[in-house]
Amino acid sequence: MGVLVVAEHDNEVLQESTLNAVTAGLEINAEVSVLVAGQNCGGVVDSVGKVAGVSKVLSCEHELYEHQLAESLAGLIASIASDYTHILAAATSQGKNVLPRVAGLLDVAPISDITDIQSADTFVRPIYAGNAIATVQSEDTIKIVTIRPTTFDAAAADGGSAEIVSIDPHDDKQDLSQFMGQELTQSDRPELTSARIVVSGGRGMGSSENFQIIEALADKLNAAVGASRAAVDAGYVPNDYQVGQTGKVVAPDLYVAVGISGAIQHLAGMKDSKVIVAINKDEEAPIFQVADYGMVADLFDVVPKLTESL
Amino acid sequence: MKILVPIKRVVDYNVKVRVKSDQTGVETANVKMSMNPFDEIAVEEAIRLQEAGTAEEIVIVSIGIKQCQETIRTALAMGADRGILVETEEEVQPLAVAKILKHLVEKESPQLVITGKQAIDDDNNQTGQLLAALLGWSQGTFASKLEFTDDRLKLTREVDGGLETVSLSLPSVVTTDLRLNEPRFVKLPNIMKAKKKQLDIIPMDSLGLDTTSRVKILKVEDPPQREAGIKVDSVEELIDKLKNEAKVI
Amino acid sequence: MTYSAPLQDMEFVLNELCDLEGVCSLPGLQETTPDLASAVLEEAAKIASEVLAPLNRQGDTQGAKHLDGKVVTPDGWKEAYREFIEGGWNSISFSEKYGGQSLPYLVATAVQEMWHASNMSFALCPMLTQTAMEALLMHGSDALKQTYLPKMVSGEWTGTMNLTESQAGSDLSAVRTQAEPNGDHYRLYGQKIFITYGDHDLTENIIHMVLARTPNAPEGVRGISLFLVPKLLVNTDGSVGEPNDVRCVSIEHKLGIHGSPTCVLAYGDKEGAVGYLVGEENQGLVYMFVMMNLARHAVGVEGLAIAERAYQQAASFAKERVQGRPIGTKSGDRVSIIHHADVRRMLMTMRCKVEAMRSLAYLWAGAFDKSTHHPDEDERLRQQQIVELLTPIVKGWCTETGNQLASLGVQVHGGMGFIEETGAAQHFRDARITTIYEGTTGIQAGDLVGRKLLRDGGAAAVMMLETMRKIEPSMADIKEFDKIYKQSLDDLEQATQWLLKAAMEDPQLPAAASYYYLELWGVVVGGWLMAKSALAAQKKKSAGEGDKAFYDNKIKTASYYAAHVLSGTTGLRHTIIEGSDDVMALQVEDF
Repeated sequence: MGVLVVAEHDNEVLQESTLNAVTAGLEINAEVSVLVAGQNCGGVVDSVGKVAGVSKVLSCEHELYEHQLAESLAGLIASIASDYTHILAAATSQGKNVLPRVAGLLDVAPISDITDIQSADTFVRPIYAGNAIATVQSEDTIKIVTIRPTTFDAAAADGGSAEIVSIDPHDDKQDLSQFMGQELTQSDRPELTSARIVVSGGRGMGSSENFQIIEALADKLNAAVGASRAAVDAGYVPNDYQVGQTGKVVAPDLYVAVGISGAIQHLAGMKDSKVIVAINKDEEAPIFQVADYGMVADLFDVVPKLTESL
Repeated sequence: MKILVPIKRVVDYNVKVRVKSDQTGVETANVKMSMNPFDEIAVEEAIRLQEAGTAEEIVIVSIGIKQCQETIRTALAMGADRGILVETEEEVQPLAVAKILKHLVEKESPQLVITGKQAIDDDNNQTGQLLAALLGWSQGTFASKLEFTDDRLKLTREVDGGLETVSLSLPSVVTTDLRLNEPRFVKLPNIMKAKKKQLDIIPMDSLGLDTTSRVKILKVEDPPQREAGIKVDSVEELIDKLKNEAKVI
Repeated sequence: MTYSAPLQDMEFVLNELCDLEGVCSLPGLQETTPDLASAVLEEAAKIASEVLAPLNRQGDTQGAKHLDGKVVTPDGWKEAYREFIEGGWNSISFSEKYGGQSLPYLVATAVQEMWHASNMSFALCPMLTQTAMEALLMHGSDALKQTYLPKMVSGEWTGTMNLTESQAGSDLSAVRTQAEPNGDHYRLYGQKIFITYGDHDLTENIIHMVLARTPNAPEGVRGISLFLVPKLLVNTDGSVGEPNDVRCVSIEHKLGIHGSPTCVLAYGDKEGAVGYLVGEENQGLVYMFVMMNLARHAVGVEGLAIAERAYQQAASFAKERVQGRPIGTKSGDRVSIIHHADVRRMLMTMRCKVEAMRSLAYLWAGAFDKSTHHPDEDERLRQQQIVELLTPIVKGWCTETGNQLASLGVQVHGGMGFIEETGAAQHFRDARITTIYEGTTGIQAGDLVGRKLLRDGGAAAVMMLETMRKIEPSMADIKEFDKIYKQSLDDLEQATQWLLKAAMEDPQLPAAASYYYLELWGVVVGGWLMAKSALAAQKKKSAGEGDKAFYDNKIKTASYYAAHVLSGTTGLRHTIIEGSDDVMALQVEDF
């Protein structure tokens, strides 16, 4: 009895988050199997087979699973669930869609978005948008869990040699759901308030032209560009770039403050960012009090170098 | 068609939650409570469907203490037709919630159940999917657009990296994402009218369902505080920290 | 800066100090229950914080503009106004007969506080419409009411009050605008100034209530009549027709409330503006007096509201702004300024006075409801007596205190408050008008002494003093409260007796003391209500009901109020009794 990880893929490429889920699986039990359900997804099956630590790959190819729709996929997973102690997937939109449905079919209370594994039945998960951390224990015989990918390392994509087993599709001919299409976001610069990474410039930028080095860094990081009020007032960038009490409030995973001193009004707009990096010449700049990583340096030196090195 | 909208009363999203000193949970006594914002979007969507002539009746369901009536009244003031409170003092976890809802669905026979994708207290994101599984219905999670065509529901979902469109058979369970709509403000005269709308109260015990918790909360703690930052000396060191320590790039 | 309505305190004041339940059981108000009131407040709070508050700064920086002869409101105003009237908020306490909601004025007052706190410049528009509607409702003919009221109640049209002219400010007897009879209507000629929302782009039509003189009217206040003058003439079928002969000449550049257009209106530049007499000729000022209580109370609520907003702003800034280390430590982490005792002093002063003002303003509203709805005539009269006595105190004390607290709010911010970016300065500037319009503080103080004290020989004041003597704050277990409280009542009583006596000897003396007398009343009535709230909190605590931390804090703010505010009454008494002579001591030419 081992752990089953449900792979996420588009029939061609394995989603990286599956590797994080494999690591979580291995923390529970050395025997980790991965289910790859899809259509013409042999390439994915092969790449999962090579992932370090994976013992077995269950491959199930059928048109039912081409688009990973929850209605059909959940039935398949539930049909093989009794062979496992745990069923895991990454807490992506896919994992969150499918796994609770599996749980419903099996009369199991699922556990969502865990950030740590304390034992085979005890997990840590954030609640209230991360403002509190709960430790929870499952009393079900099968544990159905989604894991937060960023808190588990990715398993090595190479070095494994798993047994590959083909399984039958679950006989499920319902016409509950049909895939009609998808529209993936273009790679334009993301919107400021929803961007995962924000790079902001302040008065220290000195001119509108100099803001290009911020933009170059932002493009490299697929980040949005923001600015302090001082930079907006100085006319370096338009109003809608402004981050702060009187501008936009942002809380990205990574906020890079370049040439920003950190006036309290600016801090009010970004202090909930997960990780804050500050680059400023002035060692006393208040921004360093909130920065996780501070760099006392000339931004015109460091920022282009950073862009280049990424 | 008839729409069932399950809603949850939660700590208001503006409240900064405090973890109880005995680590049993988060302080909810004397804290401002409101309708879960995702559920508010669900109520709004149901009302829009009614205004568009697609839906005839909107029934609101909530499970919890008697003060949940206030939350139901808010939904009625927004425009829903009647409410049902399944009253209990106990914490009810998503699986049990889904079982109660299944029971009500069988009684009320709605064509559509629409609810928030998650509650902002426990952040589970499970109830809609669990209910769809129990009923054997289609599920349209994280919806950002609904269109009804030829007895099916064309639904746009917010997925990682973009949008996905699916065609769902009816009846169906839909869960709402933020961009589906912007809930209306309640109109003052409708607050008065809501007072007179039907609101049935059913004791949870009377349903005879297994609502026991399967997930034990061992403890609830404050999140680790932001550690005092460090200074890095080089671009290389910075990149290394961001990649391997903070894991944000 | 955000605003979050202090719902818990509002509901406490409504229920524990103002007998919301009793008010809700009055004939004509029984549609409302405390639960319903609570739901109403909660929804109003959403509009206040999510629709109105975010526009407050925009209104200040952009301001209303006068462009090509038209008044343009700041960006977002139109959408907010639409949301506001579609939600039915325009006519919350107005009679159902004309499409209102018939909620008690007590509940409407709490809602008003939210509008003014979130965006005073915006809130002035519905506030003036409300006043104009009251005038029309009380004195207008049925025909006028039918034509104009429903659209004003719904907010489809707004209303204004046109009293002031350049030579007629506090002294309305100098009004010169002429109204000449012309068939079934009049033609008006003249210029009015300081007309709040006298023109704007929020609605198609605006209904002006205008004070003017008919050709053979007596001189002075007995010759002023009230007219209804629509911006656009209204056809017999109720549709809007030709423009009337009234136009906005300019708008004022002001210290504060920039979002609210303050207009100069010219009537009768051409053929004369069509106006309809409201009520009878020469009764205009009498009608104004009837509405004055409501209007003055509303401005008092503005003082309270701005102070609450300034307090929220200052408290949140003080929690975030890191400066200095705690006293007595030289190393270690710097702390936010809220840890410093002097900042605490300012915040506590703001907080306890806001609580006292809220109690006073709501108490007035509860008394108003009882004075208009109570089935027993004696009780109606008694409540009316309270309303009359308290009106100048609500207006004068809440606005003077509002200014003082908005100033403290800036002070808490230090240099950050003096620059505009934090928003503290806007509250300070916006508050400034409140002690001026709708009767300056001097007028209120004069009203208190002249009309409310001397006219009935002190009967109402003595009745109120007796009421205030009936409570025993010691039960709330606050050290020294009893002593300070009793002293403050003695001070007020002595000042009152002195005024009654001094007025017989020299009428200048009470006038010279009236400002301090008003302040004294405000502080003492505030102390009475703080004592009552501490007692109510103690009772709730003993019963083990509700939020213990909240009740503890109510007792603490009451204690602070006693030691820091109420304790000042002896000085006020001294100033009134001993210092009045000095006011007029210098000769005019000595200045």
